[in-house]
Amino acid sequence: MSSRRSRSRQSGASRITDDQIIDLVSKLQQLIPELRGRRPDKVSASKVLQETCNYIRSLHREVDGLSDRLSQLLASTDTDSDQAAIIRSLLM
Amino acid sequence: MKRWTTKREHQIYSSKLFQALCRSRRTSSSTSAKELHQTADRVLAITAKGTTRWSRAILAAPLTAGTNMKKHKKAKVTVHTRLRKPVVNREKRKLPVVERKLRALRRLVPGCRKLSCNNLLEETSDYIAALEMQVRAMTAITEFLSRGEAQVPTDRLGSIGNM
Repeated sequence: MSSRRSRSRQSGASRITDDQIIDLVSKLQQLIPELRGRRPDKVSASKVLQETCNYIRSLHREVDGLSDRLSQLLASTDTDSDQAAIIRSLLM
Repeated sequence: MKRWTTKREHQIYSSKLFQALCRSRRTSSSTSAKELHQTADRVLAITAKGTTRWSRAILAAPLTAGTNMKKHKKAKVTVHTRLRKPVVNREKRKLPVVERKLRALRRLVPGCRKLSCNNLLEETSDYIAALEMQVRAMTAITEFLSRGEAQVPTDRLGSIGNM
């Protein structure tokens, strides 16, 4: 598979080969909801990597928001009395 | 990767996390969002059972009030790189867009800064799947707690006289 863009000219010095990047990128594409349906050759490697980073960051932010909400809820709820019931519901 | 998508795994994680949160509430008067996030990450890493680099990195990191990232900023000493033109500048020139983004990705997944491409793929896909489950589980806990506020607790226990 020839590189579509002459990315790493110094292939000797670079530890990562083009093929490895292409492989990584095509597999990553399947994980990102935004890019999942698209054809691999239509999406550039840098876009996939960018979207992967964006996706992970957005997941981090989502967990941040949930942590915030949860810390407020825990402060205001008396969890001790409900604890067994809540755990039961979570395990159902 | 399948393990993060099963219902069982989700149940185990959400109940473990909830118990951990209740425990920490009992020991300290209030839990900040940051501490909560940290607890959520640690329980997530424990659930991984030490099979991935990112989970081991999370458990190995010390509990700090601030961010853990401060430790790893040694690469940001840009003043010296300009002096060492033949060595470091070449490296900078050969870092095209893809390599730069690869590096950014490595920084986002815990413990993967020096990882090879293939292993990075495995770690990233596992990490993303785990994060997605974390979001689902925390959302579920939030829902249960919110419902608990609106309803009287006895409703949940199915007392007589309930509709």
